[in-house]
Amino acid sequence: MNVAEKPVIAPESLIGQRIQKKDAPEKAAGKTRYIQDMVVPGMLHAKILRSSRVHAKIKSIDTSAAKALPGVHVVLTAADVPNQQPIGVARDHLPLKGERVRSLRDEIAAVAADSDEIAEAALKLIRVEYEDLPIIAGPEDAIKPGAPLIHPAPLDADGQPKSLPPKTPVAFAGKADNIAMRFDYTHGDIAQAEAESDVVVEDTFQLHYVTHCCMGVSGVIAEFDASGNLLMYSNTQVPFLHKREFAEYLNIDPSRVRIIQPPIGGGFGSKLDIYPFEVICIFLARAAKRPVKMVFTREEEFLASPTRQPVLLTLRSGCRKDGTLTFRQVHTLHDNGAYTSWGATTPFVMMQTFSSLYRVPACDYHTTVVYTNNPYAGSFRGYGNLQATFAIEQHMDMLAERIGMDPLDFRMKNAQDAGEVTGQGMTFKSCGFKECLTTAAERSDYRRKHADNIANRNARGPVKRGIGIASMLHVGGGAKIYPSDGCGTILKLDDFANVTLITGASEIGQGSETVLSQLVCEELGLPISAVTVVNNDTAITPWDVGVHASRTTFIAGNSAIGAARKAKAKILAAAARKHGCDEAELDLRGGFVVVAETGEPLVELARLMRNLHFSDKAELVMTTFYYEPPSVHQDKAFKGDVSAAYAWAAQVVEVEVDTDTGIVKMTKVTGTHDVGRVLNRLGLEGQIEGGVVMGQGYALTENLIVDNGVTRNPNFRDYKLVTAPEIPEMDITFVESMDGEGPQGAKGVGEAPSICIAAAAANAIYNATGVRIFGLPFTPEAVYRALRGATPKPHWQAWKPA
Amino acid sequence: MTAIERYAAPNSLDEALGILQQGEVTILAGGTDLMPQTKAGRIAFKATLMNIRNVAGLSGVAFDGDWLSIGATTTITAILNDPLVKKNAPVLAEACDHFASDQIRNAGTIGGNISNASPAGDTLVPLIVLDAEVELASKPNGAVTTRRMPLAEYFTGPGRTKRAANELLTAVRIPLPKPGHVARFYKFGARPALDIATISIGIAGVKKDGALTDIRVAFGAVAPTPVRAKRTEAALEGRRLDDATIETAANAARDEVNPIDDVRATAWYRKELIHNMTKRMLDHVAQA
Repeated sequence: MNVAEKPVIAPESLIGQRIQKKDAPEKAAGKTRYIQDMVVPGMLHAKILRSSRVHAKIKSIDTSAAKALPGVHVVLTAADVPNQQPIGVARDHLPLKGERVRSLRDEIAAVAADSDEIAEAALKLIRVEYEDLPIIAGPEDAIKPGAPLIHPAPLDADGQPKSLPPKTPVAFAGKADNIAMRFDYTHGDIAQAEAESDVVVEDTFQLHYVTHCCMGVSGVIAEFDASGNLLMYSNTQVPFLHKREFAEYLNIDPSRVRIIQPPIGGGFGSKLDIYPFEVICIFLARAAKRPVKMVFTREEEFLASPTRQPVLLTLRSGCRKDGTLTFRQVHTLHDNGAYTSWGATTPFVMMQTFSSLYRVPACDYHTTVVYTNNPYAGSFRGYGNLQATFAIEQHMDMLAERIGMDPLDFRMKNAQDAGEVTGQGMTFKSCGFKECLTTAAERSDYRRKHADNIANRNARGPVKRGIGIASMLHVGGGAKIYPSDGCGTILKLDDFANVTLITGASEIGQGSETVLSQLVCEELGLPISAVTVVNNDTAITPWDVGVHASRTTFIAGNSAIGAARKAKAKILAAAARKHGCDEAELDLRGGFVVVAETGEPLVELARLMRNLHFSDKAELVMTTFYYEPPSVHQDKAFKGDVSAAYAWAAQVVEVEVDTDTGIVKMTKVTGTHDVGRVLNRLGLEGQIEGGVVMGQGYALTENLIVDNGVTRNPNFRDYKLVTAPEIPEMDITFVESMDGEGPQGAKGVGEAPSICIAAAAANAIYNATGVRIFGLPFTPEAVYRALRGATPKPHWQAWKPA
Repeated sequence: MTAIERYAAPNSLDEALGILQQGEVTILAGGTDLMPQTKAGRIAFKATLMNIRNVAGLSGVAFDGDWLSIGATTTITAILNDPLVKKNAPVLAEACDHFASDQIRNAGTIGGNISNASPAGDTLVPLIVLDAEVELASKPNGAVTTRRMPLAEYFTGPGRTKRAANELLTAVRIPLPKPGHVARFYKFGARPALDIATISIGIAGVKKDGALTDIRVAFGAVAPTPVRAKRTEAALEGRRLDDATIETAANAARDEVNPIDDVRATAWYRKELIHNMTKRMLDHVAQA
């Protein structure tokens, strides 16, 4: 007898596996072609002339010598582009500045030439005459009575304010004060809650400038075809929003704008807004009638890309002796810089942490965002949450100490549970917060070390050990900050059962291609290698709101699953028809249609696909799906369940403080994250480790020094990213709260790992030394000064405009 | 766009000195300081760019009587890995271990680090406390002549030395250590490597019966050049290394340096570091 064993294909889940990123081999081999590598035939190279004054009127610009330089094709100033439209979140500036410069990054002129070197040389030939204006170097100066205005209203010939139609953008109409935006949120009765408090603490926290330091600097290539259609190669994180906005600036139909994203060398929020250089590059391409490429130098990236939002924050917190939180009152002053980008809107996220990380009966939150002559702040991984968490988690330790309670017990007593609805209307459908706290604390031996370190503070020797804990809440199911937070998917299977997944979600290095492929393969019973992802061309991919708010896995994941399930239903129905069985009894596994119960293969999927295609009722399997999460756009009082799910984490940071030098060495980070469910374990670990290091840089080393409007360290020598030997040991674990709405139960995690580190480090330094430091970063000199009592405590009187 | 009219890559010292004698020469070795500084506009190229990496006999470590001679184009990596340096001048190897990054160490040379004459140059402080001297060659009248000078006297300001325009730095020489010789180096940077020194400290001497003699103390990044700390040396010379001596010396160190505020640190903090780390280093020497 020669009987082969009947094959059985067992279900093998890809969920929770360690799966190599699809783009890893290309990147590791140096083969990835970034925008820096791209050459478009006939393209010119562009450079921007930026202001050499912090705040000044432009008296004259002379470009004649630059225009005369051989190899220069176009030189543009504001005068050459008469119909510039204002850009930015508040429509408060024009790409090319004509009358006034308000910061050193301001764009005055631009050159397109045969080479970067010629363009650079041409910039040096442009003569600009300025008349200096008084500088507003910090946010406190901006709100002083009689402060000079950064955006004064234009005057008519008689020196009277010009009369302009209502809703004229700030760029044309100016502002009567230096206040760019305000945010006010309240729930509960603060006065009563304060009266019921046994302990109240009030402190001011000072958060500094840092910037993203993407390895891939900003860059764009713009070209018009003969019919006037615009094609852009861009690093943007939000191609569909940009397509619409660029059309608006050019006054053309959005259908005439196409954006292709070459592989993006990191975003972290920096590529979430439209910046002047992109619009200027389009102007140059239009004028030159040639493709124009503009890529920043590293120095330019430091000077002219956005920063994390610097914040001055005064927090009052109260609790009862039994450890019940009573209230929080928050006043922040945001330094907007000269123009408004997404940094101004970080209060959306900050207030969530104050109102909802812990149960707090009363919360009163106020932010004033003011114009200064500093670089302008944008969105950056965490979106205000690092700043809010820095304050709130130090206050948690301070309150606990005042009432003589263990800081972990104090957090556990006030931590949120599943089912809670917060003052802002956030509804916690899945919530592993308490498990995050206890897991991180147990794995790091937090309680014992915390007590031991206090006992050892006065022991001999300069090096003190400390341990600190901090927690975070962040959106994990998208964030409905636009009317839609959706993502579309187109999915097709070819004759060989290979899948093309066409998704609106951009890959910016976060691993979205891999995790989306994984979710699709889980549905279709295929190996990851069967999937090709197309995700970088607005002419092909369906709409997506963009990469932000830790939303891609959740939103694009659900969208991909939706398309895959539709394909699966189609395939099983076809198989059932063909093989005369009930489709409910069939499944897809290992590249076959199988009998679900036994795993017995019925037909190879590729064969079935060909049969469908070449039958007399020829059919291809192609599906589409659009996922819109069940979240709501917040109302004007900032209430509403803005995300379909919320992510939680607790991180414990251990440090050694050298009291002779102030050097803080981060020795270990123990982090536990409620991720809903682990999808790609390798990708998740990578994202958490990278985020921890980014948080470490924010806490200890990174500091963009802005001094009277001048960035003093625009280079990697003096702007210190964390280097490999400084990276702490990490112990990362996951809580799987299995979110009911999440793809396979998962929640977003992109921003989460950076959020707690600075706050936990502050608590650890206090644990080591008994000295609490209220301002970042904890550079050696800053820590040394604080240890010697030589640092004045930041103070900012709670303030809001009348 | 560049002012360079001629590029030369001589193979012999004689040829190199001949080119130098003609004047208007920028000397290139590793390029790790020269290139960024010319790009930033702090140094202008002269008409001739002369690459000395091919010059025979300028690279390598060898004994020369009672001296260890290190050729000017020896890379920092080569010094770091050299067994003669490890045995006879371990403090120099230690400084090389804190020097920039692997890539820069592979290209950068010791002659370049000396000629760049930065007050924060990583090899300068240990070389000074080791009593190193520089060797300079020139060919003024058709024949090669050399002169030597203690490194401690070589620097005249940031980026400036006593080298004449027609001279080439050919080697740095270190006397072989006497019995009981100890030397320590400390560099403060905000991170373990890849950083410009905020301050650096070198201490050397001969330890006998709990006291140091022939003491040398030098500091980097606290003055326009790396400096010998004569008052600190005087506070230590021949004295028992007890707590009181160490505290006196650390105070003297803090009082005799005169650093500046810059983007890396304030003068106050630099003085504090000089005090605290001089004390820590001396504690370690006392306990060793």
